[in-house]
Amino acid sequence: MSLEDPTSPEADPEPVGVTEDGLDYDALEDLLGDLAIGRESHINAEAFVVRPGDVEEALVTLRDEAGFDHCSCLTAQEYEDRFESIYHLRKYDEPTQEVGVVVPAARENPVSQSANGAFRTADWHEREAYDLVGVEYEDHPDLRRILLPETWQGHPLRQDYDQEQPQVVPLREHANPLKDDHRGIDNSDTMFLNIGPHHPATHGVLHLKAVLDGEVVADVDPDIGYLHRCEEQLCQQGNYRHQIMPYPDRWDYISAGILNEWCYARAAEDLADLEVPEYAQVLRTMSAEMCRIAAHMLAAGTFALDVYGDFTAIFMYAMQDREKMMNLLEDLTGQRLMFNYLRLGGVAWDLPEPREEFFEKTRDLLDDLPERLEEYHNLITSNEIFQMRCIDTGVLEPEAAKSYGATGPVARGSGIDYDLRRDDPYGYYPELDWDVITEDGCDNYARVLVRLQEVEESAKIIKQCVDLLEDWPEEERTIQSNVPRTLKPEPDTEIYRTVEAAKGELGIYIRSDGTSKPARFKIRSPCFSNLQTLPEMSEGEYIPDLIASLGSLDIVLGEVDR
Amino acid sequence: MIGVLKSMATTMKHALDGETFTVEYPEETPEVSPRFRGVHKFSQERCIWCRQCENVCPNDTIQIVTDEQRNGEQYNLHIGQCIYCRLCEEVCPVDAILLTQNFEFTGDTKDDLAYSMEELKNVPWYKDIDPLASREPDRGGWIGEGEGEVDYQ
Amino acid sequence: MSASLPTVTLQSGTPLPDSIRSLLGLPDGPVFEFIAAVIASSVIAAALLGLVAVSGIWGKRKITAAFTDRIAVNRHGPFGLLIIVADAVRLLSKELIVPDGVDRPAWDIAPIVMAGSALLGFAVIPMGNGLQIADPEVGLAYVFAVASIASVGLVMAGYSSNNKYSLLGGLRAVAQNLAYEIPLIITAASVVIFAGTLRMSGIVGAQAETLVSVAGIGIPSWYAFVNPFAFVLFMAANLAEVGRNPFDIPEAPTEIVAGWQTEYSSVYFVLCYLSEFIHIFLGGAIIATVFLGGPAGPVLPGVVWFVIKMVAVYLFTQWARSAVPRVRIDQLIEIGWKGMLVLSFANLVLTAVIVGLTV
Repeated sequence: MSLEDPTSPEADPEPVGVTEDGLDYDALEDLLGDLAIGRESHINAEAFVVRPGDVEEALVTLRDEAGFDHCSCLTAQEYEDRFESIYHLRKYDEPTQEVGVVVPAARENPVSQSANGAFRTADWHEREAYDLVGVEYEDHPDLRRILLPETWQGHPLRQDYDQEQPQVVPLREHANPLKDDHRGIDNSDTMFLNIGPHHPATHGVLHLKAVLDGEVVADVDPDIGYLHRCEEQLCQQGNYRHQIMPYPDRWDYISAGILNEWCYARAAEDLADLEVPEYAQVLRTMSAEMCRIAAHMLAAGTFALDVYGDFTAIFMYAMQDREKMMNLLEDLTGQRLMFNYLRLGGVAWDLPEPREEFFEKTRDLLDDLPERLEEYHNLITSNEIFQMRCIDTGVLEPEAAKSYGATGPVARGSGIDYDLRRDDPYGYYPELDWDVITEDGCDNYARVLVRLQEVEESAKIIKQCVDLLEDWPEEERTIQSNVPRTLKPEPDTEIYRTVEAAKGELGIYIRSDGTSKPARFKIRSPCFSNLQTLPEMSEGEYIPDLIASLGSLDIVLGEVDR
Repeated sequence: MIGVLKSMATTMKHALDGETFTVEYPEETPEVSPRFRGVHKFSQERCIWCRQCENVCPNDTIQIVTDEQRNGEQYNLHIGQCIYCRLCEEVCPVDAILLTQNFEFTGDTKDDLAYSMEELKNVPWYKDIDPLASREPDRGGWIGEGEGEVDYQ
Repeated sequence: MSASLPTVTLQSGTPLPDSIRSLLGLPDGPVFEFIAAVIASSVIAAALLGLVAVSGIWGKRKITAAFTDRIAVNRHGPFGLLIIVADAVRLLSKELIVPDGVDRPAWDIAPIVMAGSALLGFAVIPMGNGLQIADPEVGLAYVFAVASIASVGLVMAGYSSNNKYSLLGGLRAVAQNLAYEIPLIITAASVVIFAGTLRMSGIVGAQAETLVSVAGIGIPSWYAFVNPFAFVLFMAANLAEVGRNPFDIPEAPTEIVAGWQTEYSSVYFVLCYLSEFIHIFLGGAIIATVFLGGPAGPVLPGVVWFVIKMVAVYLFTQWARSAVPRVRIDQLIEIGWKGMLVLSFANLVLTAVIVGLTV
């Protein structure tokens, strides 16, 4: 892992800047020394300003000396006088310890050094920043557009971007992806194969440019952006108080809506310093875990679909269980997928009357769950042919997972003990009794096991929440705190907040400019980072393993492309 | 082999128990929750043309036309564009716009889904559920007014 | 080899064409024999297509639905049976899309080769009540020979479609058929050692005796009971031969879209679909004949028993489809060459030794 530093992490147990009460940013500043030319204060963490040419050195120093091994996100944005890239760093061991690295770039010709040498996840994040904001990254191995088509004119998140400008491109300027049979002229033994964007196993509109050597995958390059809907821009055009909340439902639309809403709620509430009543926190926790079960059910079902082929029984059973969960969520929130249930400072409404009926329904479902899970284990995990297919395929080593910024079940399947619900506590999770599931297999099988066991843990959480809600005194059932009708956070406050969504660490960066709408709204999608690990997993394996690995990553293209 | 046989036994159990999960729509209509958010219903008698719904709507689905004296002339809602977030209902001080449980509506063209005031008025209740009544117990929690000034227009 | 043959007595021993000839009162002569043979084949083919239509279009939906807790078609006529008509009209009225650059006429012939090879196999299957078109001495060898012509069709389809997924599917199909054809035939050969004949009616006749009598109920000496190991091997190899789960890798919908049949539409698709199902039934027919006593069974007429056994094998393939994952191509080849082949030879040698010792 360590490039310059000869001492291994074990030999260096005390990373710089760690004190008993958390992080000592002065020590970090000393560590960076001349590299840091300034210091900013964001709500979530301090940030150091670094010259555009020193990015890699600063990040490597922070990574190796101070233990910041997780590059969570990169936010690029435009100011009146400059461009800025913010690298949000944190630690896999202790995600509450965060630091930002702010890299300003000139207004006229925004260029800064790429962070690829420090974190491999920077590859795609920088491509996205280049695509949407137009900051160029020097030494980037492959600085192409990622979400928008190659032929796109302009960078849509720039202030001077002309939305009226036609983007009509003649067909001849589009490269025909079907044209070449093999990549590389001298190596004609390989075959180039387009898997997707319309393919039964790509879980949406994902395009994998695969180079095959026989049936073996020699190279695979995910091509994303087919479902890009400018979600960041949509959120920048809505006001904090009401208009942003419906949109998170539409990022990870696999019934994980409330988990996503919580991310926005958490960021905006911390930004505007809003309180959330305890009762509402319990409601949020319960409904979020319901969403997680529904999402994991779909993940397990579609993974089985990829490995078993056709519409197998397992897929339909998983859909049934998800359906039952969605019925509960419909009773609670009024919708089955696009919940819009959370509000800043609480939730939209209390449990449906009669409450006893809702509790009974929930308990019935939870009581049936162990039996159903037993069935899944019979059907999937204990099946020898399934094990033959999944064990030791799609291997993602923990070091690679960290470098790619993988989170959620993907990271936990690689033995990384990282769960924001526990490590960066929010909601009512700290008060409840549950466990973080990790598996050391690092393969497709481990990831499926993690998901199935997480369903059990979520069920535990829901059960405890139901007990709490049932005994909650009637007069203390406040579901929303007092929130001003119009929110106008202080100008130039910046915040980056994350939650543990169904697929991993979902983060939102907001910068306010004193108006009722965010000046910059950046979404850190877990699927985006997780999908980046696909080449790492599947190169050198067979096509069926590639498909299985893709299924085990459990990506939702709505969230990858945003 | 044991695991494979266990898998096969599990599916056979499902095949033999005869239980089905299918809802035979339209003969059998699904039960929707009282809170379910379907197509809108508008009441001209109640509406005070305050335009809060138009303002709160995240994607400009609602369009209101008034004359100089703030008398309402048109109330258009493009239900094909609506994202069913229910903010308009939540923000309405007089319950003039409601989301019924009715999810059965069709249109041959996008234009058919741009509902005018008359069409919105004629939207039927779903199975005679009155959403107002079914949501009454919850309404207290809807609007956290806060200390900020109330920005009626 | 036919010297020591036990005299075969089917319920009615004459092949179907001869019966038809005598029924219609046609005189002897090659022309009339030909006419009778055509009529007989048409009858069998029509019956088969009917069976495939019911099981492929309607039955498959209902069976899959049962495994997945659904109802499936139930609005077209009683039990949704009229879906067969609706589907036929739908499929046949669709546009036949011929992709750019396909290698004709190979692309056009492939579905016919596949469907034809499966249908040809039925010529020598004794279906009971005299429903057998021909009964040559090399019946079993003939069945395997014509059934494996389908692989040629698969390669043709895969290679000529000008589609990389088709190509992959075609190559997979060949690799798979090569790896499983041999164990299949070797396993069947162990039955031949028992029966002492390749003639299909002879194999059926050899299974007519009672093996043991338990509480007055005689258990017939079907080879599934006499040599259950061979039966299990044959069932597994047969799944691979007809390309069903866990060996459906030539199609592998989630990996290579639809494999060799990706580019086929309309009538050609119908032919591909038909040939798949006829193949499954041919597999069922071989299993019924070789291991399950052919048309033998109490009370009901032989042909009914035969269809029941054939459908039972078909149901088994559908059951496996619902619960068994697909193996990977390299695993499939490994199982075929390293596992099944060895086991089938072991079975053959063992059978030969046992038969040699007991006779």
